[in-house]
Amino acid sequence: MSVGIRTDREGDRARIVPTGPFDLAHATTAARAVENAEALLAGCDSVDVDLAQLDRIDGAGAVLLARLLDRLDADGHHASLIEGSNGEAARLIAGYRERRADQPPPQTRAMSLLARIGALAAHLPGKANEALDFTGRCALALPKAAATPNSVDWRSLPRLIQEIGADGLPVASAANLLVGLIIGFLGVSQLGPLGAAAYIPGLVVVAHFRELGPLVTAIVVAGRSGAGLASEIATMTVSEEIDALRSMGFDPVRWLVLPRCLALAATLPLLTWIGDLLALIGGLAAATAFSQMTPRAYIEATGDAITAGHLLAGLVETPFLAVAIGLIACGQGLLTRGGAAAVGARTTTAVVLAIFSVIVISAVFTFFFALLGI
Amino acid sequence: MPVSKPHITVHDLRVGWGTRVLMEHITFQVDRGTIFAILGGSGSGKSTLLRYLIGLERPQAGRIDIDGVGEPHRYEGVPPFGVLFQSGALFSSMTLAENLALPLTRWTPIRGATAWELVQAKLDLVGLGPFARHLPGEISGGMKKRAGIARALMLEADLLFFDEPSAGLDPISAVELDQLILTLSRDLGITIVIVTHELPSIFLVADHCIVLDKVAEGIVAEGDPRKLRDESNIPFVHNFFTRSAPGVSADQGG
Repeated sequence: MSVGIRTDREGDRARIVPTGPFDLAHATTAARAVENAEALLAGCDSVDVDLAQLDRIDGAGAVLLARLLDRLDADGHHASLIEGSNGEAARLIAGYRERRADQPPPQTRAMSLLARIGALAAHLPGKANEALDFTGRCALALPKAAATPNSVDWRSLPRLIQEIGADGLPVASAANLLVGLIIGFLGVSQLGPLGAAAYIPGLVVVAHFRELGPLVTAIVVAGRSGAGLASEIATMTVSEEIDALRSMGFDPVRWLVLPRCLALAATLPLLTWIGDLLALIGGLAAATAFSQMTPRAYIEATGDAITAGHLLAGLVETPFLAVAIGLIACGQGLLTRGGAAAVGARTTTAVVLAIFSVIVISAVFTFFFALLGI
Repeated sequence: MPVSKPHITVHDLRVGWGTRVLMEHITFQVDRGTIFAILGGSGSGKSTLLRYLIGLERPQAGRIDIDGVGEPHRYEGVPPFGVLFQSGALFSSMTLAENLALPLTRWTPIRGATAWELVQAKLDLVGLGPFARHLPGEISGGMKKRAGIARALMLEADLLFFDEPSAGLDPISAVELDQLILTLSRDLGITIVIVTHELPSIFLVADHCIVLDKVAEGIVAEGDPRKLRDESNIPFVHNFFTRSAPGVSADQGG
């Protein structure tokens, strides 16, 4: 028999007869049947619910019928159960009726766009406060760490440099090589028709050394190590390890954050520098393959284009990018509250914020260099 | 032993998160060398109160004073107490020995063979001697808690805080842990504060207790747990100690 509710109505008396299997597998159909039946009962004084025709009932089906009876009672109908031979169903329904808490269902009202902007803005001061508080504590940690070297986990430094630097080298190098290749291609397609292919090596050097090298490397590191550091510290926070550290008199900022920032600040310039070299190779490959330029001419022009200024203008910003990545990743990790989902959410936030702040800091440096004419 | 100052004095403490107040007017004292239990149902704020006692949170109002330490959240220096967290909170990437040696490397110049000897002695004390080179993931839940106790003892503190030590343990491991707690108190003279709701453990080890209730938002009873069980006429306390559910009443949700 299929799931349904038969409704017989005589004046202000009605009799509803649920038929078929009222169980979890048929709950959607059953819920619709309950709704339909309820619509037909408007204006009735008394309603009898006859359970004799039910094939099968489980908790899910019983809840639907129990809530129907609750609503009928609340609307002033006189609802009663007719067990028939189905005592089990009656007990199940009664069981769910007794355990009803007076809790309205959660409001899942969709927020309007304006309300969402408002809610976002309301959160902003708190977030800014959190960030400034954390930055302040980190700044304070430096002199304290210098005074008490025991309070910093120096032993983890080689491992961190290995994980952030050496293990990240292949992907950072590949990214830089490809970016060099792209700049080379652009040079060939845009400068080539003007007969200015000789300027391609200079373009690659200036574009990559000053801007794209640090940026691309920092974005790769922010995605890779930022996620790793944030999730590691977030997991430690969730599993009470940070509380345990604090209870043993360790400052988590000095013990965990400082070595991570140091490792990043030590490795990011190196990765960038290696990335710069690979970008030159990428540029060389693009220019020699797609224009008349010989490798020898390219290398000589590159040699002329490289100046200490171009190299340093790029490298000088890398420690700042590194510290920003470290502070954001570790800060988000330490702010984690809750369980596994919170770890995931904080890691996502950390990566997004880290990549965004890397771009912002890079833009600020470019702006200042332009202002100072460097 | 001469009559001494209480080890911990809590006066009119308010406990909560942000603007939400969990408990108010918390006042009690813990005497030196005793085992003190903080009792209450789930969600009554026992573990939160513990976070205040060990200085992880700044009191919203009121004052906590630990003898010789002052206010715990202001204290800096060699930790004057050890804490066993609910999960043990061992560092999962370090062996048990490395976990135990960590407080030593932070606060003492002890390294090498001497450090190993001290670590091994504490592991032996909690019955984990053969497991020094194991990682926390390789031992059972009860062993993790005992390792957590050993780590809490590393700096020779005379005060220990235990957060639900027997939660999640089988009855035999729980009794073993209770015996260990009694040993620490009687043989080493350590003051112990336990947050728990395990009745057998309370009656076995606790000298004195306070009972917290979330409906009353504070302490509803204080005293010897055995006396409270037999004599208290406060309904919540009576129900708590006799493991009876509250009668059919609407205000006792979930």
